[in-house]
Amino acid sequence: MAQIEIRDLGIDYRKPKSNEVFSAVDSVALSVEKGEFVTIVGSSGCGKSTLLMAVAGLVSLTRGSIEIDGKRVDGPGPDRAVVFQEASLLPWRSVRGNVKFGLEMQRWSGGDLNERAMQMIRLVGLGRFSDYHPHQLSGGMRQRVNIARALAVDPEVLLMDEPFGALDAQTREIMGTELLRIWERAKKTALFVTHDIDEAIFLADKIVVMGRNPGHIKEVIKVDLPRPRNEAILDSEEFHELRKRLRAHLAEDMSSMQLVQEVA
Amino acid sequence: MRSAEITAGPAETRQLSLSFLRPSRSAIIGTLAVLAFLVLWQIAPTMGWVNGRFTSRPTEVFFAAIDIFRNDNFLYHARISLTEFVAGFALAIVVSIPLGVLLGTSKIARYLIDPPLMALYIAPTLVLLPIMVIWLGIDMAPKIAVVFLGAVFPIVLNTMAGMSEADPRFLRMARSFGATRFDIFTRVLVPGSLPALLTGLRLAVGRAVLGVIVGELFVSQAGIGYQLNLYGSAMRIDRLLVYALIVSAFGYTLTVMVRSVENKVRDWRSK
Repeated sequence: MAQIEIRDLGIDYRKPKSNEVFSAVDSVALSVEKGEFVTIVGSSGCGKSTLLMAVAGLVSLTRGSIEIDGKRVDGPGPDRAVVFQEASLLPWRSVRGNVKFGLEMQRWSGGDLNERAMQMIRLVGLGRFSDYHPHQLSGGMRQRVNIARALAVDPEVLLMDEPFGALDAQTREIMGTELLRIWERAKKTALFVTHDIDEAIFLADKIVVMGRNPGHIKEVIKVDLPRPRNEAILDSEEFHELRKRLRAHLAEDMSSMQLVQEVA
Repeated sequence: MRSAEITAGPAETRQLSLSFLRPSRSAIIGTLAVLAFLVLWQIAPTMGWVNGRFTSRPTEVFFAAIDIFRNDNFLYHARISLTEFVAGFALAIVVSIPLGVLLGTSKIARYLIDPPLMALYIAPTLVLLPIMVIWLGIDMAPKIAVVFLGAVFPIVLNTMAGMSEADPRFLRMARSFGATRFDIFTRVLVPGSLPALLTGLRLAVGRAVLGVIVGELFVSQAGIGYQLNLYGSAMRIDRLLVYALIVSAFGYTLTVMVRSVENKVRDWRSK
């Protein structure tokens, strides 16, 4: 059985003022195997972040269900940890303090907690910076801390919401390679939301392409590029093929968006 | 590539600074301006530009200060004013922080008490001084009440703002790790609102000092404000200025102290 099983998922929001109901995600079905790296890609407003937050248990479902290892998701749990886009590090805590946060929530204490936190900080390559505060770090370093914090609680599933969205292209590429290195050692099931096509292909075993109005899955694409991967595969034939396919999907989405604007 | 990214390093490096040996331009200009003012003040009455009876002179103020510290019962009056200040301020802290926390975390409490609170904050609490005197007499009590009223609102309002304006991204992050309401309160809301609380304290200091002095000016038998009143009606400008300087030095020192803690605490939220 798959580790994550999403069935007929629908999430509606009530718009704050007009009381209008707006469907962010509808009829989504997806299964993710244990240890699989799945990227979710789509243009903005396709509900990809909402889907991820639903798996995290931070958004309540309107229809359908999400199960992890056969257990229904009805809130956040220790089997999942989220890496947020940015600015989710507590500014008054040091790198170590931030990495400890999740462990504290799970009632770890004393030496174990410190040891575990330092281990994770070293894993993401920030050993020398454990006493720095977030404002003293670069954007890429902050996201390493963010990843370390999520990995520290040893979740079954790692959920990442555009974790490199705020980084420049160069740092983003480095962080992608870094993430794969860490992932290959930690062997976690990973769900990774992005709007960057290259990033989506580079990281994935499986790409979920989402479309808009309401957010739905357009296609699920298997990626058979060999692992471990490095920047070289960005130039491979297969990579180009996949990129072309994803581009076509997103372009379709954009043109339908323009149509809506013209009609309106 | 990878190592380059890591060694990109911190935005600020901590290193031992010897800059106090070389005063900055602003410090030099500031000192010169004060000296120039003192010289001008000293010679102005002699040159007949102003009437020395109304302006006194720096030297006279200096000798008056020595005189006051030696035989004016200074410590007695200072102790009374200080007691009023500390009692009122402590009372304000004890009441305002829990109230600010309650208002910051409960919307219902906020809807209920926010408008009257705002009204009281904006109205100068000194208008209540005559009532306090009627209720509490002319001893320390009405001054303590006025200090309390002056200090309590800035602390309540700033604590409330700090609590209620917590970054929703932090709250979501905390919830994702399974934080309970109590965890969120102690580990996100409290540390996050500390800078705002300190801002409240700093604003409260000024209002509290004002409360003590005006309270004593209005009606009292002792205290710094009483002495100010006394020397004011006796036209002893030199002594009046000494007391005025003492009051402002006290308020200034306290404000600077709170601000330095505040800046330290704010350091980590700069970006």
